[in-house]
Amino acid sequence: MISCQDFIGELGNLLDDDVAKEIREQLETHLAHCNTCQVLYDSTRKTLRIVTESGSFEYPEPIAEPLVRKVMDRIRSGCETVSRPQTDAD
Amino acid sequence: MGFLPDIDDAPAAESVSTLKRNFGLIPKIFRAQLLRPDLVDAQVHLLDQLLFAKGALSRLQKEFILLAVSAENKNSYFPALHCQTLQFLGVKPEQSQQVTIDHREANLPAHEVALLDFARKLASQPHSISGTDVETLRRSDFNDEQILEAVLMVGLTQLLNCIQMGLGTEPDFKPRVTFAVKEVNPAAASERQTLEPELAGDVVSDDPDFEIVTRVRNGETDAFEELVRKHGRRLYRSLLGILGSAEEAEDALQDAFLKAFQHLPNFEARSRFSTWLVRIAINTALQRLRSRKEFDSLDEENEEFRPRNIRAWTETPEEFYSREELRRLVEKEVMKLPAKYRVALMLRDLEELSTEQAAAALGLSIPGLKARVLRGRLMLRESMVQYFAKAGAGKS
Repeated sequence: MISCQDFIGELGNLLDDDVAKEIREQLETHLAHCNTCQVLYDSTRKTLRIVTESGSFEYPEPIAEPLVRKVMDRIRSGCETVSRPQTDAD
Repeated sequence: MGFLPDIDDAPAAESVSTLKRNFGLIPKIFRAQLLRPDLVDAQVHLLDQLLFAKGALSRLQKEFILLAVSAENKNSYFPALHCQTLQFLGVKPEQSQQVTIDHREANLPAHEVALLDFARKLASQPHSISGTDVETLRRSDFNDEQILEAVLMVGLTQLLNCIQMGLGTEPDFKPRVTFAVKEVNPAAASERQTLEPELAGDVVSDDPDFEIVTRVRNGETDAFEELVRKHGRRLYRSLLGILGSAEEAEDALQDAFLKAFQHLPNFEARSRFSTWLVRIAINTALQRLRSRKEFDSLDEENEEFRPRNIRAWTETPEEFYSREELRRLVEKEVMKLPAKYRVALMLRDLEELSTEQAAAALGLSIPGLKARVLRGRLMLRESMVQYFAKAGAGKS
């Protein structure tokens, strides 16, 4: 019988559907008996569903064209320098 | 000459004759170790017993393992030496070269492809090897003695590759195949996060961007615009998630495309163009994070994270919020995650890179990447409980 700690150790693989059959059976047996891990698994799965379906961090249409133009202008003008990242000293 | 001075000494006469008989010369890799001739003798003895002597695997199978594993390690020295040796054994240089670049395209019988698949996996993802991989070899009619020799050949090649790279030994012959990155397990993260044009090792023949990339490489600069349009949206999303500011994401996106354009002549199609581009963009973003002094938080390991807020969630939590509200909420909570977990989570769950791709992009081992992704997911879940837990659900 696996422990809750073992279950959490395998949770990432379970969410990615990347566990061998025997391990999956052990995890499912644990889930059937452990309410805490059941809630943890269910809520993490839902978190992932919300993250992937939320359309977060999308590319805003108004900046798409100007960005393409800026990139191509820099390339065509032979501007070889890559802009320096901001630092605390800037 | 390599990193250490040359020593005017010689290994034992028996080693010299073994090396000359099999290579036609004393390879520089052994001459470079003559501060300790006894250890050279030990290595030559191992080579003689495992590679040169008749064993359960054929000599060619063992030589091919050496080529494939060296390719995984981006080691150009051993393919150069052994392609020459294989020529003595009647193997055309083109075939040895093809085994090095991509054994699956080298017209090998299926069981030898399986053998080299196993060898490459053991070399590049040792933690992911399981009994299933060994079973696959058994199904290809390899017996236990042959499997043992295969494992030992991978280990021996790793040892030799590591010695050559550590000593910086120059090739004995002009390499037919060279690799852009020669580090094996570089020690410092700062070394890992450099621009790595090709990590995959195999030439990708079905890249949908192949034609456009070729046009750009042939001087048609305007064709690059198609690549910017096609990949800009996806890259922006990752960059914004990593950097958290629209302005910085736009700057990083421009920089990434510029770097890609400038380095396109070095792109050797060992991965898809899109994968290569994602790596460039991620490295650009990571450099920016580091310059913001978030560097340490990317590499330090913190103490174990334990989920605390265990309250049951409603069945379809999305229903209680509009799409716009959900988008903002996810962005707000993702940006609160520490950088190293956020970056790993972004690559796996928003960029939807495979575990292997995300690990390669961040210079992490597969278990290391998995641990960070899980931690990021659990932390995000913790912060989402307040929005999505069932009303009145108890804590534990």
